[in-house]
Amino acid sequence: MVLSPEEAGEAIRSGRLRGPVEVPGRLDLSNFTGDHLPAGLHCYELDATGSHLSRLPVDLRIDGRLVLDNARRLASLPEGLTAGSISLRNCPMLRALPERINTWFLDMTGCSQFETWPKDGTIHHGSLILRGCVGVCSLPAWIGRLSQLDVAGCVQLREIPESISVTSWVDIGGAGVTCLPSRLAGASLRWRGVRVNERIAFHPEQLTAAEALAEKNAEVRRVMIERMGYLRFAREAKAKILDEDKDRGGARQLLSIDLREDEPLVGLSCHCPSTGRQYLLRVPPTMKTCHQAAAWVAGFDDSSLYRPHIET
Amino acid sequence: MKRELVYMDAKSSKFWNIELADNTHTVTYGRIGTEGQTLTKTFPDPAAAQKDMEKLIREKLGKGYVDAAAAGVGPMKASADPDGPIPLIAFSSINRRDDISQNAGTFIGKRVVDYDPEKPARADVVYRFRSDWDNNEVIPNLEQFLGTDAAAETAALIIGAWHGDDPELTPEGIIEVLVKSRDRLPMLAAIYIGDITSEENEMSWIKQCDLSPLLKAFPKLQLLRSRGGDGLKLASPEHVNLRGLALETGGMDVSVIRSVCTSNFPNLEYLELWLGTDEYGANHSIADLQPILSGRLFPRLKYLGLRNCQFADELAGVVVNSPLLSRIETLDLSLGVLTDEGARSLLMLPLNTTLKKLNLHYNYFTADMVRQLKALPLTVDASKPSNMDEGDEWRFVAVGE
Repeated sequence: MVLSPEEAGEAIRSGRLRGPVEVPGRLDLSNFTGDHLPAGLHCYELDATGSHLSRLPVDLRIDGRLVLDNARRLASLPEGLTAGSISLRNCPMLRALPERINTWFLDMTGCSQFETWPKDGTIHHGSLILRGCVGVCSLPAWIGRLSQLDVAGCVQLREIPESISVTSWVDIGGAGVTCLPSRLAGASLRWRGVRVNERIAFHPEQLTAAEALAEKNAEVRRVMIERMGYLRFAREAKAKILDEDKDRGGARQLLSIDLREDEPLVGLSCHCPSTGRQYLLRVPPTMKTCHQAAAWVAGFDDSSLYRPHIET
Repeated sequence: MKRELVYMDAKSSKFWNIELADNTHTVTYGRIGTEGQTLTKTFPDPAAAQKDMEKLIREKLGKGYVDAAAAGVGPMKASADPDGPIPLIAFSSINRRDDISQNAGTFIGKRVVDYDPEKPARADVVYRFRSDWDNNEVIPNLEQFLGTDAAAETAALIIGAWHGDDPELTPEGIIEVLVKSRDRLPMLAAIYIGDITSEENEMSWIKQCDLSPLLKAFPKLQLLRSRGGDGLKLASPEHVNLRGLALETGGMDVSVIRSVCTSNFPNLEYLELWLGTDEYGANHSIADLQPILSGRLFPRLKYLGLRNCQFADELAGVVVNSPLLSRIETLDLSLGVLTDEGARSLLMLPLNTTLKKLNLHYNYFTADMVRQLKALPLTVDASKPSNMDEGDEWRFVAVGE
């Protein structure tokens, strides 16, 4: 039976659909409140954004896009799931991908519980986006040539396997990756979307404040400062001292560094009263005193209301 | 030694032949369908003549000329078999960004003439029917033409600006007339709906409609070309004989891409999509093109044009992985926002495939990157319009508005 996307959508939403059914277009089941879909469904595209689906039928066939973004209850996917592209952004219940998954584009941005790869699968030619997949510790060796690989925020990911190559770029912003395998040597690098070079990505200890201040591109400059660490940057850049006082940790300073075509970087330098460690908290450039900055950090817009009994 | 080359685009349809004889070479060139002009040059020795001939051939290939035999363009001076296949090279129209500011001078290799109801209709040219702001005679002129003997032999038709003084007018009425009179156009092989310059109507203002009734009505149709994305539809994308589909837009709606991806065009050899920008209605992303790039559609495809694309760099990164590269001859990523990043991806193109030509006209490449691309064992067009704006703040597709 062939149904139009509208007919099929209505039949599924009202629970009347019995398969097999072919839908030669985009089946819109966004915000669908059912837990599952009928068997025997074959559609060109399926959009179940924000749906309550917890699983998909084993015989589901999709030719183009499969979109399951914000499917908050989605817990598993069927073995052999195949689609031109699969988008699983922000599916917090999803812990594993199914065996023999097959696609060109996979987007798992924000799948914070995802950790288990299948033994075998095919993800190639397009992009693999694992932004913020904090549970991912490794990438499987069966991943082949991709156009883009985004592992930004994969804090537990320490290395990228030798088998992977990319034709566009790799984004390693904030990931645990400290070097690239030889096949990726020379690939374009990004740090949370900002184009960076290998030194910024992997050798921040070599960066100097003078170099960061000389960088024309404000986005790149921000990444350089982030990579150097605010404190080292502020020290090397000879920050102006806007204010000084003392708290329980010791001396506090409100520091400011002018940046071209950007707001000044203003930060509160202080010491942790427990560990003695010095750190710099960035605050809005409108801050005038250490006390005002500390109040802002604690969430007070009116600093006169900030009278902490004790700062730890 | 002899070489016969041809070139076709929206402006012209030309041949260029060269023949080597001892220490001379003779070049014959001109408009296809004419005798052309002849020029013989003499050199001190045969080797010098041959060297110069090779240099000239390289220059011509670099400008987009192709071998006549390979292009399927028969004897240069005879007109093609009226019932036979249109040469693939004749499907292309806008090769350079600046071509968009002029109406088509040729279409499927034939000369284009604005229809004049005062003159007897001919079958050896392609007529363009168009309106002015103060006079919209497109439908009456078309109906008059359909009553002539020339209509029965005509191979191609062009509809120019149809809107007259009504910017909301779609070509639906014109398509109805054509469909109703399908028996009057038994030889019709090519239709261009929207040969409209930006001066007549901006690309993004053109109001299009569902073009698929034309597919149903004209079973001999080989090429369907259109301009304008607003309202464009291919509701029933089905045609057994269609060989070329070219949809020029400033911003393509994802539903049009979906129609192309769910189409049944088993003989399609030429697919040209102008993807455009989100400022003018583009609401697709690269994943929507996956069914095309996957290679499971269009088994006979020879030319793939994904042009005027705002994410051309990203596209380049995926296209180099496409199984289509083992089948197509021309890859056209021209008129889009293509920078050194996309070019670096293209340098990873698999070699020793069927791919022969890479059209990257209008780009933001650095001179060094152009050199690297030219070193690929392919014919690479990495040219830029003379007034390319390469300020590093903003980058645009060639045709938005």
